[in-house]
Amino acid sequence: MKRRKTALMMLSVLMVLAIFLSACSGSKSSNSSEKKSAGKPQQGGDLVVGSIGAPTLFNSLYSTDESSTDIEQMIYSFLTKTDENLNVKMSLAESVKELDGGLKYDVKIKKGVKFHDGEELTADDVVFTYSIPLNKDYKGERGSNFEMLKSVEKKGDYEVLFTLKYKDPNFYNNTLDSYGILPEHILKDVPVAELEDNEFNRKNPIGSGPFKFKEWKDGQYVKLVANDDYYDGRPYLDSVTYKIIPDANAAVAQLQAGDIDFFNVPSTDYKTAESFNNVKVVTDLALSYTYIGWNEKNELFKDKKVRQALTTALDRETMVQTVLDGDGKVAYIPESPVSWNYPKDIEVPKFEYNVKKAKKMLKEAGWEDTDGDGILDKDGKKFEFTLKTNQGNKVREDIAVVVQEQLKKVGIKVTPQIVEWSALVEQTNPPNWDYDAMVLGWSLSTFPDHYDIFHSSQSEKGLNNMWYKNPEVDKLLKDAKSISDRNEYSKAYEKIYQKLAEDQPYTFLYYPNNHMAMPANLEGYVYHPKRELYQIEKWWLAQ
Amino acid sequence: MVTYIIRRTLSSIPILLGITILSFIIMKAAPGDPMTLMMDPTISQADRAQFIEKYGLNDPEYVQYLKWLGNMVQGDFGTSIIRKGTPVSELILARLPNTLLLMLVSTILALIISIPFGVISAKKPYSKLDYGITFTSFIGLAIPNFWFGLILIMVFAVNLGWFPTGGVATLNSDFSIVDRIHHLLLPAFVLATADMAGLTRYTRSNMLDVLNQDYIRTARSKGFKENRVLFKHGLRNALLPVITIFGLMIPSFIGGAVVVEQIFTWPGLGKLFVDSAFQRDYPVIMAMTVISAVLVVVGNLIADILYAIVDPRIEY
Repeated sequence: MKRRKTALMMLSVLMVLAIFLSACSGSKSSNSSEKKSAGKPQQGGDLVVGSIGAPTLFNSLYSTDESSTDIEQMIYSFLTKTDENLNVKMSLAESVKELDGGLKYDVKIKKGVKFHDGEELTADDVVFTYSIPLNKDYKGERGSNFEMLKSVEKKGDYEVLFTLKYKDPNFYNNTLDSYGILPEHILKDVPVAELEDNEFNRKNPIGSGPFKFKEWKDGQYVKLVANDDYYDGRPYLDSVTYKIIPDANAAVAQLQAGDIDFFNVPSTDYKTAESFNNVKVVTDLALSYTYIGWNEKNELFKDKKVRQALTTALDRETMVQTVLDGDGKVAYIPESPVSWNYPKDIEVPKFEYNVKKAKKMLKEAGWEDTDGDGILDKDGKKFEFTLKTNQGNKVREDIAVVVQEQLKKVGIKVTPQIVEWSALVEQTNPPNWDYDAMVLGWSLSTFPDHYDIFHSSQSEKGLNNMWYKNPEVDKLLKDAKSISDRNEYSKAYEKIYQKLAEDQPYTFLYYPNNHMAMPANLEGYVYHPKRELYQIEKWWLAQ
Repeated sequence: MVTYIIRRTLSSIPILLGITILSFIIMKAAPGDPMTLMMDPTISQADRAQFIEKYGLNDPEYVQYLKWLGNMVQGDFGTSIIRKGTPVSELILARLPNTLLLMLVSTILALIISIPFGVISAKKPYSKLDYGITFTSFIGLAIPNFWFGLILIMVFAVNLGWFPTGGVATLNSDFSIVDRIHHLLLPAFVLATADMAGLTRYTRSNMLDVLNQDYIRTARSKGFKENRVLFKHGLRNALLPVITIFGLMIPSFIGGAVVVEQIFTWPGLGKLFVDSAFQRDYPVIMAMTVISAVLVVVGNLIADILYAIVDPRIEY
């Protein structure tokens, strides 16, 4: 009797196990074939891309994260694209003509482009896609990118006319290249209000890009296979597996073991990755910068002289050498040297490291140590503040401590405070502005527009949470918004960068590097500062 | 017994309700909202406001709670805010089997190893063997999971190549049980080491108590074989408290393996729970809380029922 009970229990345990085992059904995709072809480049192979982040959905009108964007770039076609030098190139569009001084754009698209289900992509699909955000029922988060757009209409089977409400260079530079063309024949009956939640976005996205969506196993991977009918020629790779590995250390181990092929290695690990067999690492500047923001709602940082002195008291070169291990470059303005908009011919104020000078500047601003306690004071108020940064970014946490050390030398007391990300965003942004100074970073746009960050109108509600205000800068930023010629735009921005470097609303710290690890035999790869998988259809594996 | 189970189930309803209210309040007290982590900062204020409106995050908190409760009792956990349009139940069900499998195997592994260890320790207390077992089990408890996991990956997966580096199955391969088990062993072992110390110690101390009882002496004096005395008369009585501990471990099945899941790229619930908490994905957080709470209640119930099975003196 008792033995039977035990046996029964064992049996039920086994059965439960069996149920679980069968419930997690395995991936059914077969091994990718490694075809050998004569001449180079060669076709074939599966590339496993590792990613810390996981995608959310594959529809560029609704997604807001980088993983989703990377995959959308493979599934869909875009009218234009931004190349590795951040210039706009034609993609699905054959030509884009600016009319009426930038109030109208006439776009001709390529003929014979097919969606993954075989239907032809025509002007109707373009009109359909760009009409969605104009619909009052559109509830996605990309509405502001279409604010300047008045209407989009079909002019022929392969020609579309966009009419703007006002001139805005962002239309040509961002709006045209960021939204994948959706198939009207599949989605035309879905009400716009329900499009966001439609299964199309998650279960079976159909585009006309170089790769076709095959399968998404949540929390595991997204599988894409080559589109044989891609209008720009079939990709060389047979398939791409976008594998989600939430832990960076584990991802590096997987890279070493060959379980992933391509990975943006954190700066702490890239030297290790370089030593792996069959792995090469491409290092280049990222399109971003790290800064210290000074909250001008706080009396301490209102005076420009004080902000300049703070920057002068900080040894940014040493920060890059020690905290980043030399893996980056000191920043002086809010624009990356990889951008076409980075000023080449002018000198901006740099406030190079000089403790003596910093002390002198602070003295001129009225800050002196009158009571001999080692901390500067003025009108009975001590120069002390907290420096916040987000939890989880090791480099920023270290920077906060280094700032504390360095400012101690000029008599300023800094208390670093590490705050969880969501809490930090809530604290520092409207309507709280609950911070003195913070270490954070910005990822930059391929078409830079600093209006949202440095224009004084953006303090009350926008991203100018340091309450920086300079009427001259306000005017320059506003004027630049209507310039569409890139040379003129750069000229206008030279002045803006000069003013910003002079005013130091931020202390610009450094530009970090990207480290792309990939198979040693990967050919055709081009480093793009913004898109990790740029032109992946042109990559190939040498056999 | 049946009436007992029904009574227990009914009395757990107010408990669960209380848990959901408390969780909801705590969750809402955390600063920020789902916008802060998911959003590209260049998204305009107007678009943000629209988003908040769309998910009813502007309603008074009690309205939000009641709406959620109303849907939940009908079995609808809503859709994820971060993964737009994905039903929460779909997210959880996709990961539940992975988590249960991992937790179940690691727990069984822990029990299989620790109970005999505890018995051996108790049989010869303060011997070299006892100290050796105690020492080993404490090491298992003291080593942080993430570190131990990474070391195992480095040694057995990267250098020796005996095991895969992570995941539940080989990419691009057909389903196979052997492959599954192959992927399961390292993470399950890492998880088991942490539980083993506690279980071994509990078994040992309870066994020591029991072995000093009169009926053990009686059994021995009757001339029973030592193994029979140890396992039939001793262990069965010593296991009662261990069952309590085991019952309390059940809820951790759902949220207890975050670190190991992350290191071994194991697509389980722990990771989903933590991500949702950081992203303030309220519907997912609430669903996970409800499920954990139910498991705590069920776990305790199962422990009580097991008491009755193991100990004939207990009746309900």
